[in-house]
Amino acid sequence: MSQKTEKLIDKKGLRLDGRKSDELRPIKIEVGALSNADGSAYIEQGKNKILAAVYGPRELHPKHMALPDRMVLRCRYHMAPFSVQERKSPAPSRREIELSKVIREAVEPAIFVEYYPRTAIDVFVEVLQADGSTRCTSITAASLALADAGIPMRDLVVACSAGKIEDMIVLDLMDIEDKVGSADVPVAFMPNLGVITLLQMDGILTHEEFEKAVNLAIEGCKKIYTLQKEALRAKYVSVKEVEE
Amino acid sequence: MSLQFQKRNSGQIVLPGEPLGVIEEFVPDTGTYVKDGTIYSKVVGRALIDFLNKRVSVFPLVHGARAPKVGSIVVGQVSSVQSQMATVRIFKIGKKLLSGFFTGVLHVSDVHLRFVESMFDVCKPSDVLRAKVISEKNRTYHLTTKDKSLGVVYAFCSHCGGMLQQRGRSGLQCPRCGKSEKRKTAIDYGKGII
Ligand SMILES: [Zn+2]
Repeated sequence: MSQKTEKLIDKKGLRLDGRKSDELRPIKIEVGALSNADGSAYIEQGKNKILAAVYGPRELHPKHMALPDRMVLRCRYHMAPFSVQERKSPAPSRREIELSKVIREAVEPAIFVEYYPRTAIDVFVEVLQADGSTRCTSITAASLALADAGIPMRDLVVACSAGKIEDMIVLDLMDIEDKVGSADVPVAFMPNLGVITLLQMDGILTHEEFEKAVNLAIEGCKKIYTLQKEALRAKYVSVKEVEE
Repeated sequence: MSLQFQKRNSGQIVLPGEPLGVIEEFVPDTGTYVKDGTIYSKVVGRALIDFLNKRVSVFPLVHGARAPKVGSIVVGQVSSVQSQMATVRIFKIGKKLLSGFFTGVLHVSDVHLRFVESMFDVCKPSDVLRAKVISEKNRTYHLTTKDKSLGVVYAFCSHCGGMLQQRGRSGLQCPRCGKSEKRKTAIDYGKGII
């Protein structure tokens, strides 16, 4: 691909897709998109299209991997071969293995893992179309799928990225801004408890810029959280209580 | 914390992490947890606020995720039988069908109140049986069928594979080939209830 040297921010201060610096991409969330999974969620954030499915708690095989006092959370982040412009090999790449770990560690603090000893919960995140900040979108979807599976959680986890492009701190980077821009700060956040569960920084930022980026990302998280709540409620408004 | 408390009403749908009140105000009950003096919901459910007894609980809207516990009634398929014990693939706990399965073990001494000599008179591979979990020692779910309501609920002929039908109290017979077999049946054998 030829690297275009177009401006990421125009004279009016708008970005390539017409967003302001602190504006999110349009988000659409659906909870319970898959009927076979115990819990699932589908999310579209701009051109990102991600499906998350949760299975479990279930028995862990091989058995020696099971932990006597807590459950094992397993996470698999996978990008479909057609999710990016150039075909991606379906075999797990280094990056996907790393992101699986990142997503697992971002959602794990929210789960009461000690409630189901010797079991496993599997979270499958499938990226159908990727356009930057997929780790954040994946975390948002994964925590919704876990809540949909009825797994006891401390809070929902929301994630959002902020970054620096052309000396400006902006919210929710898309692919080109991530590649051409100079820094990227993904943040995962538990909005009710006010706890950050993931914080990474890729690129160079000054102290002040970093602080600004984190705060902007948290603001973004809170906006996404309201959409997350709406989507989860929408599924259950029609459902009656389950009889025990 | 920046989020404000909202006044909650009984019956309102709450999500994991939504604050329900403070411990000075209410006693936290099922479906909730306490952190730094605040009561939060831990499942998707309806908030039940009992102003009389000052209790707050959340009634789950999802068939909660669950693993077998001591006392749970489970349904599973027999995967292998030896003379002293049988292994069961549990696919249902209470009313919840599982997406995966758990492995349980049924020992001859836990089949009946009376003495049972061989496990081969109790169940055969591929039978569906209902049992109760009595122990989770040594990382295994130990099962029992010592009750009228527990035992095999579906069995198949070991000769031709046809579904066995009840003949007499504990005798089963194959309608296709006429073979008689022995099982420890539940009281509602063959009624289609699992
Ligand atoms: Zn037969």
